[in-house]
Amino acid sequence: MSKKINFNLTRRSFLKLSGGAAALAGLSLPKGADAATDRQLATLIDLSLCDGCKDLQAPACVTACKTINKDKIPEVVDNIPEPWPRKTIEDWSKKKGVFNRLTPYNFIYIHKAQIEGKTIFVPRRCMHCDNPACATICPFSANHKEKNGAVVIEQNQCFGGAKCKDVCPWEIPQRQSGVGIYLHVLPGFMGNGVMYKCDLCDERLKQGKMPGCIEACPRKAMLIGPRRDIEKMADERARAMNGFIYGKTENGGTSTFYVSPVSFEQINKTMQKKPGQPDMKPDVKRRMAATDPLGKSVLAAPALGVIAAGVLNWFAGRKDQVKKEEKGND
Amino acid sequence: MTEEILAHKNLVVRHSMLELIEHWAIAISGLILILTGIFELPVAKRYYIITLPGLGWSADFITSLYLHYAAAFVFSAVGIFHLAYHGLRGEKGLLPQKGDAAASITVIKSFIGLGKEPPMHKYLPEQRLAYAGMAFIILMLILSGLVKTYKNIYAPDMSHTVLLWATWIHNIGFVLFFLAFLAHMAAIALRPNWPMVRGIFTGKVRLDYARHRHSLWLKEIEQEQNIPAAVSDETTPPAKMDPTEATQPTPQPGTQHAVEEKMEDIRSGAEDEGKPPQTEA
Repeated sequence: MSKKINFNLTRRSFLKLSGGAAALAGLSLPKGADAATDRQLATLIDLSLCDGCKDLQAPACVTACKTINKDKIPEVVDNIPEPWPRKTIEDWSKKKGVFNRLTPYNFIYIHKAQIEGKTIFVPRRCMHCDNPACATICPFSANHKEKNGAVVIEQNQCFGGAKCKDVCPWEIPQRQSGVGIYLHVLPGFMGNGVMYKCDLCDERLKQGKMPGCIEACPRKAMLIGPRRDIEKMADERARAMNGFIYGKTENGGTSTFYVSPVSFEQINKTMQKKPGQPDMKPDVKRRMAATDPLGKSVLAAPALGVIAAGVLNWFAGRKDQVKKEEKGND
Repeated sequence: MTEEILAHKNLVVRHSMLELIEHWAIAISGLILILTGIFELPVAKRYYIITLPGLGWSADFITSLYLHYAAAFVFSAVGIFHLAYHGLRGEKGLLPQKGDAAASITVIKSFIGLGKEPPMHKYLPEQRLAYAGMAFIILMLILSGLVKTYKNIYAPDMSHTVLLWATWIHNIGFVLFFLAFLAHMAAIALRPNWPMVRGIFTGKVRLDYARHRHSLWLKEIEQEQNIPAAVSDETTPPAKMDPTEATQPTPQPGTQHAVEEKMEDIRSGAEDEGKPPQTEA
């Protein structure tokens, strides 16, 4: 019963959103579509509902994601340039079918956590953080955050330096070498491909559609809707199952709320952080937050400069005046 | 009045303490910004910079950001202070003047033995042009850096178009700033400019050098200080100089004693006048 109510609520919220898009589209399609996705969205992943699609060859969310993004990565060049001096090449183009970890061709996978004789299925993908270091610290701003909360990498602007992966607490973005703009600049010395990750199906959202994984989930374990509604729903569900939430405060807050009957400390213990397989450490801190006070002082610096100039100019003027007067007295 | 002839020491005060602080604050913070800006690119691991002693932190982008912010605070505050303060004081000696481009070519040609340098003011024409260029680059860097900082703290979902503009202005500004720094170092490496190097460390340059190269500037100081023309006769007035400019003002009765002292100072330094200008190797 509660599942149905919750789903209906989200469904309604989503329909409200897409209805707004359709109404606005009548006036101006691109503007209307953008306006519809300007609202901050969030997703909910209810681990009490996900069963990992045990009866299917691959979980429905994974298959849907793969289908939607199958043509996303352009053809990889035959001879991938060897980067200098560190010769790391990451080529997943021959292993496109891998779905038990994150790869440039697989943006979501299901972790199976065995806890006290039960299996908890944990879909893992980008958390779409509120203040994502992967985006803010990107040297080319190829990675950026949309108004709707989706954190998106523009593949035609990314050099594949993997900085976003380094600053992500879950090391979500994955690199494909041999594609992207770096091939046309200095492939041996600068860049190494393109970084890929879940973009919350931002293009589909702009068309008024749901993200593929959410649409495909047969148990409605994943939901999307306005941030406030989803957050409220996560709180209610967690309270109802006497459970736990992950993603609300982690890394300074995210747009993804996991709800689980089992604590995330226990879930995290079943996870060994490996490439493409993030852990789920509770209360992971947003490291960049510690730099914010210094950043605020930078924003104040020009004003301080102007004030100091005014004060010193006043003193200098006084000094000139006194000198003039002394000269006059002589 | 900061600028002053100290003839008994064969020196001229070229920069005030405040100007020295401004220069070095911008220079040191600018170098830290270049270095940490490079480390904000994913190069430290790739190029094994992290293996160099003392640079193990260079691949940690958050540590680099701390340093970048700290240096940016100094850079922005002092850069804006410089513009505001000297603007308010009406000090325009470093602003480009009409004919600077042509005069710069004449000066540069003289470095390779083609022709003679024209008499110059406190700053060389190419210095004034370089200053304007550097100021423009620094302003671009400060403004775009402020947008990026604001985005980091308050607006991670800032318009992507605005963000791309700020990012690329910052990145291009970084390259130009680095090139301008190299050009600045190259200018210092030129032998005729060597005597100016001590000026940016101590605030003073040699009087014989200034007399030889910055004759128009010395004339201005002498006029300001009411020093009679006889003591600064070596400076050749420019060919088309207004005759009234060559006339030295009569010392005021009240300042006669001070002027006599000054003249004594200058006379004692006049023994250098017969010698060719020296450079500090």
